[in-house]
Amino acid sequence: MNVVTNNNINCSIALTALQNVLDPEIGLNVVDLGLIYQLDFDEENRKIYCSMTLTTQFCPMGESIADGVKNALQNTFSDYTIEVNVTFNPAWNQAMISDEGKKFLNK
Amino acid sequence: MFAPAANTTLVKNTSYKVVLPFYLYAALSFLAATILLLNSTTAFTGHYFQPHILAITHTIALGWGTMIILGASHQLVPVLIEAKLYSNALAYISFILAAIGILLLVYGFYFFDMGMPAQWGGWFVVSAILSFLINIAISMSKSKNESVHAVFVFTATIWLFLTALLGLAQVYNFTQFILPSNSVHYLTLHAHAGIIGWFLLLIIGVSSRLIPMFLISKYSNPKLLWRIYTLINSALLVFVFLFLYPGIEGLLFIPIVLVFIAIIFFIHYCYCAYKQRLRKQVDEQIKLSLLSVVMLVLPVLLLIIVIIFLISTSGEKLNLILLYGFLIFFGWITAIILGMTFKTLPFIVWNKVYHKRAGLSKTPNPKDMFSNSIFKAMSVVYITGFILFAIGILYGMIILLNTGAILLLLAAILYNWNVIKIMLNKPKI
Repeated sequence: MNVVTNNNINCSIALTALQNVLDPEIGLNVVDLGLIYQLDFDEENRKIYCSMTLTTQFCPMGESIADGVKNALQNTFSDYTIEVNVTFNPAWNQAMISDEGKKFLNK
Repeated sequence: MFAPAANTTLVKNTSYKVVLPFYLYAALSFLAATILLLNSTTAFTGHYFQPHILAITHTIALGWGTMIILGASHQLVPVLIEAKLYSNALAYISFILAAIGILLLVYGFYFFDMGMPAQWGGWFVVSAILSFLINIAISMSKSKNESVHAVFVFTATIWLFLTALLGLAQVYNFTQFILPSNSVHYLTLHAHAGIIGWFLLLIIGVSSRLIPMFLISKYSNPKLLWRIYTLINSALLVFVFLFLYPGIEGLLFIPIVLVFIAIIFFIHYCYCAYKQRLRKQVDEQIKLSLLSVVMLVLPVLLLIIVIIFLISTSGEKLNLILLYGFLIFFGWITAIILGMTFKTLPFIVWNKVYHKRAGLSKTPNPKDMFSNSIFKAMSVVYITGFILFAIGILYGMIILLNTGAILLLLAAILYNWNVIKIMLNKPKI
């Protein structure tokens, strides 16, 4: 699934950073899992808005994964305020996994 | 366009400080139970109602099975109901009361002191369950969502509470005769309210959420789960009725058939989740948990044989009854806990150790926090020990009972080794 963004260059940098954030159970990063829906950059207020989901609404690791996303973005964009929101609309599905991710899961 | 904030909030996990003591107590209880087992192998060639067997059964049922389930439930129920656990204090109270109570109760059974140790132990256990029940009930009442899994947990806890109350009455009945019949008479009711009402209902309720989640399967079938729920509770109510108003022994097959259908439905549920899994590779821990689901069928089949013997002949088949209990406690319940511990505990500890470091640098996977080779060795030793001990009970062979017990003790040592390894995990980054 493609990430919606208003800044392609920053989005690409952010996604590279987010590839270090893994779903601890699956061992796959949040980008290839398709958990990141939207990354918007508000240059005026120096704010990054990230909309993401989880593979299941009942994920006990949800808080850690969302914090991991926030940490990774903050580490890369240190002069921005990061806002991460978890949404289940639309709910995550397997079609959102990247080809790389599918290869990893089929290993 | 700058997107508006979504209103979804994540459920706060229950603190690891609440959960870990339950896991540690359970691990030590498993070890203690296998030591008692090795020390009491000759008891498994006689009647099932004797002090050492009662002590071992309660160490496994309460110290091992119930303690780890209570610990995991404090962590999982908020996830299931999407609301915070009502009170950590009640959870601590539950732990302390249960920890003291189980110790006293097992001591009372082992030395057959049905006075103060067993009576106080019983009261402590009942109070621990009550505080857990209150905690879960209030947490659920504050949740906006109805979850079939949470209803399973809540109903199971009510059955556990009733089981413990009856157990307490049985203990008092040894010295004060408060029940119409002797305590042994109520053993079947006490045991099945616990096994079916507590363990089966709860394990199905929680596993039906966890197994698809760990397999990364999108399979979900609440309708089927409600059917299972209805079947099991109907079976229990019919069983209680038949116990209170005994008539034709053949009617005992009604609750067994209901439970058997429920188990087949649950196996079908697990199979569908397995077929629709996204992750092709299934790890050892899930394999052992799935094996335990199949192991559920064994005691039910054996129970049918026991009842056929009961109806067709004059006497009880003592070895089959002992085997039935062994298959449940050291088979099904132990297998699922051995598997699920390593699918839950590493995550709880990971959250404690690495939560704040996530996304900043490389963190280990929770599955790397314990030794998989120790886990595999534990599984092999456990399954071999379990089979040998079961055959030993069936044929009354002391050598098989001793060998099986030694292997089960070894499995418990390996289990504890891995559990301690996870709990003492320190960040390497």
